[in-house]
Amino acid sequence: MKRSLFKDNLKYLTSVFLSIVAALIIGALIMVANGRSPGVGYMALLNGAFGSKYNLANTFAKTVPLILTGLATAISFESGIFNIGGEGQLYLGAFAAAYIGFTFPSLPKGVGIILAILFAAAIGGLYALIPAILKIKYKIDEVITTIMLNSVAVLLTDYLVNYPFAGTGQGKMGATEMIADKYQFTRLVRLSTLNTSIFFMLGISIVMYYIMKKTSWGYDFKMTGQNERFAKYGGVKTKKQMIIAMVISGALCGIAGAFEVLGIHYRFLQNISPGYAFDGMLVAMIVKNSPLGILIMSIFFGGLKTGSISMENATSIPSELVLVIQSIIILFLAGETGFKKKIKEMMLKRKKSEKAVKDSAKSAF
Amino acid sequence: MGEKIIQLKGITKQFPGVLANDNIDLDIESGEIHAIIGENGAGKSTLMKILYGLNEPTSGEILFKGKPIKINNPTKAIELGIGMVHQHFMLVPSFTVAENIVLGIEPRKNKVFMDFKKAVDITEELSETYGLKVDPHLKVESVSVGIQQRIEILKALYKGADILILDEPTAVLTPQETEELFKVIRRLVEELGKTVIIITHKLQEVLSLSDRVSVMRQGKMIGTIDTKDANEQMLAEMMVGKEVLFDELEKKPISNKEILRVENIKTRDNRGLPALKGIDFNIKSGEVLGVAGVEGNGQSELVELLTGLREMEGGSLYINGEKVEPKSPKHMRDLGIAHVPEDRLSTGLSAEATITENMMMGLQYKEEYAKKKIHLDKEKIRNRTKKLIEDFDVRTPSQDVHLGNLSGGNMQKVVIAREFAFNTPILIISQPTRGVDIGAIEFIHSQIIEKRNEGCAILLVSAELDEIFRLSDRIITVYEGEITGEFKNGEITKSEIGLYMTGKHKSNVGRGV
Amino acid sequence: MLSQLFNLTLIQHTIRTATPLVLAALGGLLTEHAGILNIGMEGMILLGSFFGIVGSYFFSSSLMGVLLAVVAGIIIGIIYGFFVVELGSDEFIIGIAINIFASGLTVFLLRSIFGVKGAFSSPDIVPLPKLSFPGLDNIPILNVIFNNHSIFVYISWILVALIYIYLYKTPKGIWLRASGEYPEALETVGVSSKKMKYTSSIACGVLCSFAGAHLSLGYLTLFTENMSADRGFIAVAAIIFGGANPIKTFAAAMMFGFFDALGIRMQVMGVPSQFTQMIPYVVTIIALVIVTKNHMNKIKKGKEKEEGAY
Repeated sequence: MKRSLFKDNLKYLTSVFLSIVAALIIGALIMVANGRSPGVGYMALLNGAFGSKYNLANTFAKTVPLILTGLATAISFESGIFNIGGEGQLYLGAFAAAYIGFTFPSLPKGVGIILAILFAAAIGGLYALIPAILKIKYKIDEVITTIMLNSVAVLLTDYLVNYPFAGTGQGKMGATEMIADKYQFTRLVRLSTLNTSIFFMLGISIVMYYIMKKTSWGYDFKMTGQNERFAKYGGVKTKKQMIIAMVISGALCGIAGAFEVLGIHYRFLQNISPGYAFDGMLVAMIVKNSPLGILIMSIFFGGLKTGSISMENATSIPSELVLVIQSIIILFLAGETGFKKKIKEMMLKRKKSEKAVKDSAKSAF
Repeated sequence: MGEKIIQLKGITKQFPGVLANDNIDLDIESGEIHAIIGENGAGKSTLMKILYGLNEPTSGEILFKGKPIKINNPTKAIELGIGMVHQHFMLVPSFTVAENIVLGIEPRKNKVFMDFKKAVDITEELSETYGLKVDPHLKVESVSVGIQQRIEILKALYKGADILILDEPTAVLTPQETEELFKVIRRLVEELGKTVIIITHKLQEVLSLSDRVSVMRQGKMIGTIDTKDANEQMLAEMMVGKEVLFDELEKKPISNKEILRVENIKTRDNRGLPALKGIDFNIKSGEVLGVAGVEGNGQSELVELLTGLREMEGGSLYINGEKVEPKSPKHMRDLGIAHVPEDRLSTGLSAEATITENMMMGLQYKEEYAKKKIHLDKEKIRNRTKKLIEDFDVRTPSQDVHLGNLSGGNMQKVVIAREFAFNTPILIISQPTRGVDIGAIEFIHSQIIEKRNEGCAILLVSAELDEIFRLSDRIITVYEGEITGEFKNGEITKSEIGLYMTGKHKSNVGRGV
Repeated sequence: MLSQLFNLTLIQHTIRTATPLVLAALGGLLTEHAGILNIGMEGMILLGSFFGIVGSYFFSSSLMGVLLAVVAGIIIGIIYGFFVVELGSDEFIIGIAINIFASGLTVFLLRSIFGVKGAFSSPDIVPLPKLSFPGLDNIPILNVIFNNHSIFVYISWILVALIYIYLYKTPKGIWLRASGEYPEALETVGVSSKKMKYTSSIACGVLCSFAGAHLSLGYLTLFTENMSADRGFIAVAAIIFGGANPIKTFAAAMMFGFFDALGIRMQVMGVPSQFTQMIPYVVTIIALVIVTKNHMNKIKKGKEKEEGAY
């Protein structure tokens, strides 16, 4: 019974696989053009990503923000409201968590941590509420507003961290005070950045998977995204659904920011995220918002990121090559349906011209 | 009549999954008004788009003045003097009338600049020559559809069209505007020697306007005859094939229990104009009330109002005697209304979702299928879908097929299965068989009557008069948002009801039933 | 302190910082008229900056710098057009992918060509020429406004006029606008809307490359990682704020440039500049709200009129 669903997915998985292979080949060509051996480069990359306990730990550490922002993208895109503002929500969430961490250092450990996470989620969610309301009330394109609000959030935290909340210790430029020691998540593997936030992240992922795949809510989100009028006709409160999706999305990004603070930096830094939310968005788009796919693809992307550093150290191939490869994968996949159509058209044309040749051959006889 | 100016020979057009044109032959003679008729989806528009270079035929050839020719884009068609007025107007809303008319072949100053003054002059001149009055300075978005059609015709004439293709030109026009248009068409042909091809599905128009008529059915050309030898009956038979003998539907007597009642209800259309100007009717248990009318006279808005998709702006609505303020579709569904919408793809379904997902809409709020209205019981939902697919004879390899892959008839059955399975006391059904094959029509009709016989109160809106007459117990006619007549089925003939549908006759029965 | 902030050099700085915004926004408004909101301009500017440096450094000629930047702009414009116009991919996804691609590629090439991290500067990079009109040096204000700017400042002003004329006074411009508003209308009169959309996206690539070259070769002769620094997004804001009208968009870009210049000066003086930097984004969102609100009111008013009629 489930065969055709599986077949659809299989077709798409093939496209994903081919896109990745194609991007890696282009990456290899770039390496060759730079006079380096792709074999050596990719081996170093693989080794750097998965080759040791330490490398593996770093790869998994990278998946935390990717998966959270990926799920944030998934729930909003699935509901037909496009949150491109994850980066801004992440910055605000990170700052919010840090604020709790350094302002209330004497709360019980559990309370402090939960409060920091919840506050980050609330701030991220509220910030996402702005474009959601503008879309529902005034029909203003949320893509534009979320992009604008990204810059606003980054600038706002930039101000906060440099002026009212500038740290006093060493390297005070662009950083807040440290959060209380007891709120800092435990590192799981020595020297790596992998910390207990990965367990929180897994818990959140399971909840998100459950909501999206097993509940009435998930169904309502999906139908709202696929055909809003149909959903409304069927009894779904589509506007409410979109607002909820956006707030959840913002909250997840806020939490991703909180984990960067609680688990890795222990304070807010002015450039705390190198575009995690955009990476997470790409991950979600590649796997068409499938929660399970996001998990797997994040490990791949996380591996690329950690591996690229080792590759750079071992072969002096700049780690940014990975960014090029990533963007090529997304280009190929974004063009996937278009490519397929083009190829079909071309084949039809060829068939036709073949037929024309045959026809004219016939008439010649 | 003149020479054969255009000959289509063996034109076939294959779209993915649909054979839109199947080996079509057609001759157009110079200086004639040639009507092409057929039901929705018969392939008329596709054929004309091939002639205008917008679709490429899969096979076949086109002869222009006896010479084979390839028309692979509109530019080529324009060169040959072929112009087309599309069903959906091809006008840029923010441009002026003059700018739209010269679009593509603008008059220029110094070779690079647009000559706006000349464009206005051209427009005025054309307007004068052809007797089609337009104001060149107005923006297209601010003029009525009747005027927009004039602009379209002028646009084609400006480009030097000798052969004018009009695709369903009267669909959006009032009777007066239609009369005007026909005068213009006759003038174009008789005085100015143009050739006109008109696509329509209205038989009376064909008989009153055309010289010859070609009939298409399901992608095939059935035949071409001189209009003077044709009559309505004959054309209708050619259009639908041999008279389909539907079985007589067995109808139980209507009970006396009133289920739905509306009084003086009002609402507006999407442009904010009054669409319903205060109408009254009631429906009893086990009764089908048919709504007959030319499309766009408030039927869609009526259905949307009753199902919570459109705001009610006045009047009262009673369900089982209790006054109701429609708040949302959910609210109306909770009150016992199920709805088969007029446009299944935009409203009734999600093409991207599977059959199961489409059939489960509404179940997510029922404890029986979703524990605490949250946790979905997928197994139960799947089993129910499976049963509905069997009961309603949906032809599909599996319930996990994406809906977009089904045929129109099967899609419609999915909608009907879902809505009928709610077992609501009220059913609002709009265009239940639009674009559906004849076998499915028969099935859907029998399902509707079965619901009626179970005691359901049914409102049926349809553009097909045959359908209205076959299924309804009572019929109301609507014209410009008002009820113009109310009849028991059997009291009135189809041609009589036509007069009520066009507002020429009016009785007071609509108010204060 | 205020006189330190607001003086004639501020005007000069405004012109200088606004120019890349103007150039990119002019490109983006062309695609906007063709129905494509290009958020990949950020990456397009970045590529222009980088290849400007490469050309100027290796050929010791600023003209070669510009040429190489333009070639990069054309290529990225074609790629963007190919995906968005030809394949019908989502314009936002492609825009984001181009931004990431550009930021990765430039940093990668920065290190593999020049072997440096972060920034590259060299005395061998030839800056763009500056222009002055001799007659104006004696009139202080005009001297500041019109003299001693990098060449792209003047080019950007000329382009505002040219693009305005193109869009509203020539058939080609009319086709471009029609291709965005109602492509089928254009197709049916025998003009390819695809071609117009392609043209606009290539033109956008070229104009963004001008913006990039102005950034890296105009005054400082330097490339730094991600030196486009959100200018692509501010350009989007200017387009939306200016309703994609070249003159209004120019005014918006100048205004945003002004706040940028003001911010930089405030920073130098130790005053927080983040809020002035925020202005373009906030103002654009507010403008969007006001515009749609007015639009809605209009519809409402229309409704009331209608009501009186019946």
